[in-house]
Amino acid sequence: MIDFQPVKILYALFSIFIIFNIGLLIQGIVRKIGARVGKRYGIRFYQPYIDLIKNYSLRTSITHGIMFYLGPVFRLTGGLGVFLFIPIIFGSVYFQNFSFSGDIILVLYFIFFGALGMALGAGEGGHPYSAIGVSRGLAQVTAAEIPLVIAIMGIAIQYQTFSVSEIVAAQQGGIANWTMITNPLLTILGMVAYLGSMMRSPFDVVLAPQEIPIGPPTEYHSTFLGILQTNRSIFPMAKTVLFVNIFFGGATNWFILIIKIFLIYMWSVFVAVVFPRFRVDQSIRWFYKYALPLGAVVIFITTLLF
Amino acid sequence: MVDPIYIFVIVLGLAFLLSLFDKLSRNLSLFLFFLALASFVYISGSWFISLLSGKEELIIFTAGFKPPVSINLKMGLIEAFFTSLTNFLGLLSAIYLFRKFRAEAVYSLILYLMIIMGINGLIMTRDLFNLFVFLEITSIATYSMIGISSDLKSLTAGFKYMIAGGIASVFLLIGTIYLYRSSGTLNIDSMISSVGLLTTKTGIIALFLVIIAIMIELKPFPANGWALDVYQSVNSGVVAIIASGISAAMLFVLFKLTPLMNENLLTAVAGIGLATFFFSNLLALKQENPKRLLGYSSIGQIGLIMTVYVVLIKAGFIRDSQIVWLISGGLFLNHFLAKAGLFWLAGIIKKEKLSDWASLRTSPILLFAFGTFIFALIGLPPFPGFFAKWQLVMTLAAKGMIFWIVIILLGSFLEAIYLLRWLGKVLKREFQEKFAIHFSRILPIIIFMLLILVLGAYYSTLIFAGNNLNILYLPMLFVFLLFILDFLPVWIKNTLTIAATACYSYLIFPQLAGYKNIFGVIFLIGGVLLLIPGYIKKGKRMGFYPFVAMMYAGLAGLLISKTTLQLFTSWEIMTLGSYILIIRGKKSEPHALSYMLFSVGGAFAMLLGFGLLFSVNGNSLALDSLANVSQAVGTIYLLLGLGFLTKMASIGLHIWLPGAHGEAETDVSPMVSAILLKAGMFGMIILMSAIHSAKIGFVSLPYSLGWLGAITVFLGNLMAIYQEDAKRLLAYSSVGNLGYVLFGLALMTHLGWLTSITYALNHFLFKALLFLAIGGVVMRVKTKNMYEMGGLIKKMPLSFISVLIGIIALSGVPPLSGFAGKWMIYNVVLEKGWYFQGLVVIIGGLIAFLYCFRLIYAVFLGQLKDNHRQVKEAPIALLIPQYIMIFAIMLFSVYPGFILQPVGDFLKELFPQGALIWNEGSAFTQFGYWNGGLIFMITGGIFAIFFLLLFFLNRKAQKVKQFNIVYAAERPSRPELTHVGYNFFAHYKKALGSLSQPYVTKFWDTMSDLFHSSGDFVRRLYTGNGQTYILHILLFVLAVYYITFGG
Amino acid sequence: MLLITIFGFALIFIGIWGMLTQKNIIKMIIGFSIVDTGIHLVILSIGFRKEGTAPIIDATLSKAEAVSRAIDPIPSALVLTAIVIGLAVTALMLVYAFKMYEKKGSLQIKDFKELKW
Repeated sequence: MIDFQPVKILYALFSIFIIFNIGLLIQGIVRKIGARVGKRYGIRFYQPYIDLIKNYSLRTSITHGIMFYLGPVFRLTGGLGVFLFIPIIFGSVYFQNFSFSGDIILVLYFIFFGALGMALGAGEGGHPYSAIGVSRGLAQVTAAEIPLVIAIMGIAIQYQTFSVSEIVAAQQGGIANWTMITNPLLTILGMVAYLGSMMRSPFDVVLAPQEIPIGPPTEYHSTFLGILQTNRSIFPMAKTVLFVNIFFGGATNWFILIIKIFLIYMWSVFVAVVFPRFRVDQSIRWFYKYALPLGAVVIFITTLLF
Repeated sequence: MVDPIYIFVIVLGLAFLLSLFDKLSRNLSLFLFFLALASFVYISGSWFISLLSGKEELIIFTAGFKPPVSINLKMGLIEAFFTSLTNFLGLLSAIYLFRKFRAEAVYSLILYLMIIMGINGLIMTRDLFNLFVFLEITSIATYSMIGISSDLKSLTAGFKYMIAGGIASVFLLIGTIYLYRSSGTLNIDSMISSVGLLTTKTGIIALFLVIIAIMIELKPFPANGWALDVYQSVNSGVVAIIASGISAAMLFVLFKLTPLMNENLLTAVAGIGLATFFFSNLLALKQENPKRLLGYSSIGQIGLIMTVYVVLIKAGFIRDSQIVWLISGGLFLNHFLAKAGLFWLAGIIKKEKLSDWASLRTSPILLFAFGTFIFALIGLPPFPGFFAKWQLVMTLAAKGMIFWIVIILLGSFLEAIYLLRWLGKVLKREFQEKFAIHFSRILPIIIFMLLILVLGAYYSTLIFAGNNLNILYLPMLFVFLLFILDFLPVWIKNTLTIAATACYSYLIFPQLAGYKNIFGVIFLIGGVLLLIPGYIKKGKRMGFYPFVAMMYAGLAGLLISKTTLQLFTSWEIMTLGSYILIIRGKKSEPHALSYMLFSVGGAFAMLLGFGLLFSVNGNSLALDSLANVSQAVGTIYLLLGLGFLTKMASIGLHIWLPGAHGEAETDVSPMVSAILLKAGMFGMIILMSAIHSAKIGFVSLPYSLGWLGAITVFLGNLMAIYQEDAKRLLAYSSVGNLGYVLFGLALMTHLGWLTSITYALNHFLFKALLFLAIGGVVMRVKTKNMYEMGGLIKKMPLSFISVLIGIIALSGVPPLSGFAGKWMIYNVVLEKGWYFQGLVVIIGGLIAFLYCFRLIYAVFLGQLKDNHRQVKEAPIALLIPQYIMIFAIMLFSVYPGFILQPVGDFLKELFPQGALIWNEGSAFTQFGYWNGGLIFMITGGIFAIFFLLLFFLNRKAQKVKQFNIVYAAERPSRPELTHVGYNFFAHYKKALGSLSQPYVTKFWDTMSDLFHSSGDFVRRLYTGNGQTYILHILLFVLAVYYITFGG
Repeated sequence: MLLITIFGFALIFIGIWGMLTQKNIIKMIIGFSIVDTGIHLVILSIGFRKEGTAPIIDATLSKAEAVSRAIDPIPSALVLTAIVIGLAVTALMLVYAFKMYEKKGSLQIKDFKELKW
């Protein structure tokens, strides 16, 4: 299974580039749509590009110390790492990234890598609002991961493997083989988990612009913020690709992938528009009260079915 | 050989002459007095030695007649043994009382001699009436001795003693005379040979009266209020004689009469002894007065010895057989030496409250003696009581007498509670004044202390045919050496200990195989590593190194144990050493107590388990026999498991851990957390490799352990996130971590065990690392509360890196070694199909992120506190082991196969199925795959690129000062305003409040309350009124009569 | 002699009753004395033989006759010892009573309850 060739690094870089652009475009488009729905004119859809270029060209003249640098680095490494360990296009020799070095559990744990590092970096800034934001963020993430973990467990039970490629392979041959159809409850659980990890309402108290203590972004500016923005366009996409792979039959080419990504992403956008924001203890309780029992039921049914 | 009759001759002669000589000179009379006492020791001692070497025993006939006409005395081996002991005690106690004797009238010398003579007579006589006479001589002399004092309390006590003694003699006399009437003789031997004559109703009742009279002298519950008063108030030198000497004689008298007793009476005696043992210890729980406490303990111990002797006889052992004396003699010696020593100490300290005994700390040698006696009484190795208890449990279990074992262990546990509490107070409480030390008072204590140690060592060779315990001799010898060298400065002792541990590891490593190698690494190499921080200490650090060495000796002993006895002894030695280490922390007193109580309780469960094992496995001590248990499987495994799980701090049994680990000293916390906890795991591995699919009732044991492990992970981690105290946070985290280990073991698959064992190794690395780093911080900032820290990254960057690496490894985030454990957990859950337990474990793991972050954030990040501006980096001796650990973690992360492959190889012997498949650094299971090295490279690559990029882009940046921040248009003026580390995860508590209530603590508190208040309630029985005590005695006699003979 | 035995036991019970019910220490000691006396009677009654003679082997009592005619000498010997011991104990008790009165100014047993539980 291991056939590592240096050329794969180039392909990996290429897929990063594609996904990065997709991420930026989706961000712009979604904001535009949101504005239009709210009867505003909104930004230009390429505004994220402009922001990014602006941030990267700014230089900071102060530093809080080494950990402050490490924060965004951790964050981006986390985001890229998640992406790099997921196979992108099923059946393609080139767009498998580095998925040969670990399975879905690696991806799952890499999701945390960035969060933890980010929290550390923000911590060194010393601003109390960062700390509050981080505490909220971590607390909510640990609760929101519950359905995710259960869903991945369910997937593994269903397909008896942790390998993402094999999971996708098992779903080939038409929509009827997708997890969405074969195990709808599990998919619902997965989509709940997806909401939890997308940092959108109702689970966006950590990062919502209306909240003052939003953590890291309070402190980071210029290039730091640029790196964070880069990550913000890659990380959600990486997660979405993962969901495409495990619930929606994966993708055999980039076009299908982009369509699926967009549709799944819109799910979190729709929910965000409809539901108001939770406080952190409310969201923790919500995950424990609803998602956890749902997860238990799903696991139970999955073990019965498969 | 001097005829023992001369003991009596000397006393009777001196009784008249001493007052004459005293007129000449006090020194002369004192000289003669001590000469007489020394001659007793010589007489009885020389008899003992020559009888041991096979000389025939001596029967002394008085007045030239043979029995039954004359009174005769006997000097056999056992008599010689008892008289030697009591005479030696007599001599030492006289030395102890030297100053009193010099100051008081000559009469006390005479009375003292009379007491000793009476004791000798009681032991040697074979005539029932003569027995009465000697009893009265002893008693009257004792009453008078007490009466010489002008202290009201001892007068009152003496009077109550007289009344009780008077009633006892009434029964004795009536019983004796009717026995005479039934059997026509007063000679005990003749009665034994004509025991048939005693089957008449009169004979039985007469015998009953004699026995009950002797029982009353032995202070049975509840007819013993008077005795407690005596113990509490009378001069310590005299009480030592009463508690050890006279009790010994009376016990011997009881033993002497056992051949006369029928089954009913034997049962009655055993039952009374057992009740006395249990209730004395229960009632002592609330006692605050040290001498009264000792009184309760003495009474209990005498009850125990009585029971044990009689029960063994009931079980069918021959009276004078070696095993009976080995056991009851061991318990007796233990009590005899320890109790006399403690009473003597009480006379030196002269304090009315347990906590005031803390002044013992001014004298290391007395403190050592105190500890020795306390541990001996509790029954820890290497004291005779331990070995005797072991042999007792094995013997009784082999006979199926489980009920007796259970009650004895329960009583012993209660005794351990108050003794340990006392020890804790002595070791930790403040004290005001010193006490006067006189050589004459200390000498006897030291002699008894040495004696009990020597006897302990000797006893270890007696139990189960000798060489069984030789694996512990070498390390224990080193421990002993360290006690002697304790005056040396700390760095010499530290170097010595490190060298010795290293050498010993070198010695025993070749003996280790399989999983024991991993534990060898953790226990011994880890031990060496964690000794390095010891160099930070200045001065002498008295009483540290012997116990550290003891703990390691125990751990090493576990590794090479082949029998249950070796395992249990090692286990207890380790417990003893670790207890002293833990209690050294500043606020450790209550936590060390609860640690020790759980340990002792767990050890008793194990002891019972081993006893059952011994009985069902054809009296085999081999550890391997665990695998072929056929009967009582569930019970045995449950008991052993309980013992091991206590040390692993599984939920329900965990409440001792946070305090014990959190409050311990800087270099002790990592030892106990990273190393000691693995001892419990080691035990579980031994147990579970034998267990396979044991069931208790309908429940499979591994299955329940799986749930227990899962819940432990979840709750341990959840509690950790609420801690404000950094070291407690780590301690709770250990609870959770050991839950993983348990869960892995419970899976009973190849991969499960692989996960568990490697997790243990990993936990050793990261927990030692974290405890050392945090310990260094705590040492520098002098607080453990995280909200009082912050911003320390600038002051202690090296410690920060340690903690960072530590938490990444702990949380299981790739690319560090912790991920291996997480990955395997998923695989193994899927393989086993334990989805629900697995999810609890995994969710628990998610929560671990929270405390990991809090630890590093609240301590190192955020704003620096004003008072920490001068803080320096942790000392180098702390950092060196940390960086060795970091190196090991990195190595393990890049080359996981380095450890996993060999461990997997030997696990194949146990579980051939389901091993990991290795292919060029990638590990495969049937479900997934993972390549540690590659992940490390990729992550490291991305990381490096962006880090360098950022650094390059912002190369001109300036460092920000602390208050160069503004928020909401305010500039913080004080560091406190910038810190939010307090109650950091409040929302979690709000959301999951009920899950973090201390239910378990409440449960154990309630249990403790229950025992204490019931003890307190029952002890109101002892109203202090002498008349009530008479009533107690009479009711006691009636009750025993009705119970024994059924009315 | 059954009557003496009964009488002896009666004294023992009276004595014990006295020790249990009398609150005054001196009276308790008297109770103890009565018990003692009762025991002495009981002991004597055991060895007693109706119309027996003193167990002194001389011209009037041959060795062979002794077994059938003399009273048992052992209880008599015992009772002597018991009397001596009883005397000593009673005396000592009185000394105690005296010293306790000196210290506390009371002879009520219930006043001496400093030590309890």
